[in-house]
Amino acid sequence: MTDFLKKILFIDLIKGLSLTLKYNLSKSFTIRYPDEEKWLPYQRFRGLHTLNKDAQGRELCVACELCAKACPTKCITVVPMEDNNGIGIADRIAKIYEINLVRCMFCGFCEDACPTTAIRMGREYELACFSLDCAKADKQRLLAPQEIPVEFEGGYVIKARLERTKEGIRVRPDLTKKKRWW
Amino acid sequence: MDTNTCIELALIIIKVIIISSLLFALPIPLTWIERKVAGHIQLRLGPFRVGWHGILQPVADMIKLMFKEDIIPDKADKWLFKLAPIISLVPIFLTFATVPVGDKITVFGKEVTLYISDMNVGILYILAVAGIGVYGLILGGWASNSKYALFGSIRSSAQMISYELALSFAAIGVVMVTNSLSLVDIVNSQKATTWNICYQPLGFIIYIIAGLAEINRIPFDLSEDEGTLAAGYHVEYSSMRFSFFMLAEYVAMVLMSVLAVVLFFGGWSGPILPPIVWFVIKVSAFIYFFMWVRFTFPRYRYDQLMTIGWKILLPLSLVNILITGLFLI
Repeated sequence: MTDFLKKILFIDLIKGLSLTLKYNLSKSFTIRYPDEEKWLPYQRFRGLHTLNKDAQGRELCVACELCAKACPTKCITVVPMEDNNGIGIADRIAKIYEINLVRCMFCGFCEDACPTTAIRMGREYELACFSLDCAKADKQRLLAPQEIPVEFEGGYVIKARLERTKEGIRVRPDLTKKKRWW
Repeated sequence: MDTNTCIELALIIIKVIIISSLLFALPIPLTWIERKVAGHIQLRLGPFRVGWHGILQPVADMIKLMFKEDIIPDKADKWLFKLAPIISLVPIFLTFATVPVGDKITVFGKEVTLYISDMNVGILYILAVAGIGVYGLILGGWASNSKYALFGSIRSSAQMISYELALSFAAIGVVMVTNSLSLVDIVNSQKATTWNICYQPLGFIIYIIAGLAEINRIPFDLSEDEGTLAAGYHVEYSSMRFSFFMLAEYVAMVLMSVLAVVLFFGGWSGPILPPIVWFVIKVSAFIYFFMWVRFTFPRYRYDQLMTIGWKILLPLSLVNILITGLFLI
């Protein structure tokens, strides 16, 4: 009897309709990437590598090549050289430090292997570009500080702006405006 | 011909031009609204990149449709294939000849009626002419020489025939209450008393369900069932011919909303605001309802569709007529 009443009063249909109406009026989950917003990853995120410097601005990398040994895809090339000018923390620095980003699978073994915490995975994840040059990250690029500082807390959606340049498309974040996604 | 007849004739031509261009332009905002509603119901945003909140998306789509290759299958019946989209489009436009959007207004000291003609058989004419539209679907499916298209058109013809009965019977209830077939008279009689929905709640429910089936929208869009039929009757169509079908579908949706408003919700009558605004508000509420339903319910199975049509809606609509008749006596 109740089933019959339910049927003739369209109870189930009205339930469904009210649910979709609720969804229709609630906020959407979409992150408007890349035009207006961008996902800011957590600090544990494994993105583009970065080579750190110490407080005096000396390179922490001593070119021990442990990262290259630990790398499962053999994408890190390290060539050491001697240096007495105080560029690095020891008298041995990397002459060439190159990561083949196409081969890299961002497993993070290199940061585990590193004895001086020189190499760390950063939070840069827009690695696409128009030519294959950018597939190789050389020392200069790795040493340059990344756009999002390490100490900046992640897990937010931040305001961003799409930039088209000859080198590729970049989404520049605005770190002052962040919001929780959910 | 004297001057008066000339002016009358010119007025009719102007009205025809205005209404048909409006109807041609209407799917542009409607597709945008539909995609927005779909997006927000599914917690997405819908189109967002072309123009403000993606408002130019339909224009971009239209340009894309125009420049697409117009493919006619090798083994298709060429003549019928070309004719079918037009057959589905023309009747639905023809129905708007009697659809009133408001009563008389005075422009430059002359009374202008906001409908092309006030036929005394208005509702009958609309149902009859809209019924021709199904030929477009049948011929399109037949001429495509494709299994999917043929199945789609067979389904849609069966569906249209079975639901048209219930739809007309639901409309007859209103006609019995108002004692007129003319849409303008129906609205005016509702102005005098109350809206017909108060007298015909059952008729209204039957009308909405049968109307959903009549315009081939979810949950009754068996004729273009993506899951089983790819795209149904218009699977072989592309480019502008496809967009003709889409146009016909959207205009049919508008027609159903307009008819629902005119028959059951007092047309353009309403307090304070001008009549035309009331009319637009009511019609858009119905259009929103159709979209809302589309993104809420799953599609019915074919046998369920036929069961609902013949075993439930048709007897119910007959009962509705019977009850209305008893009350009138």
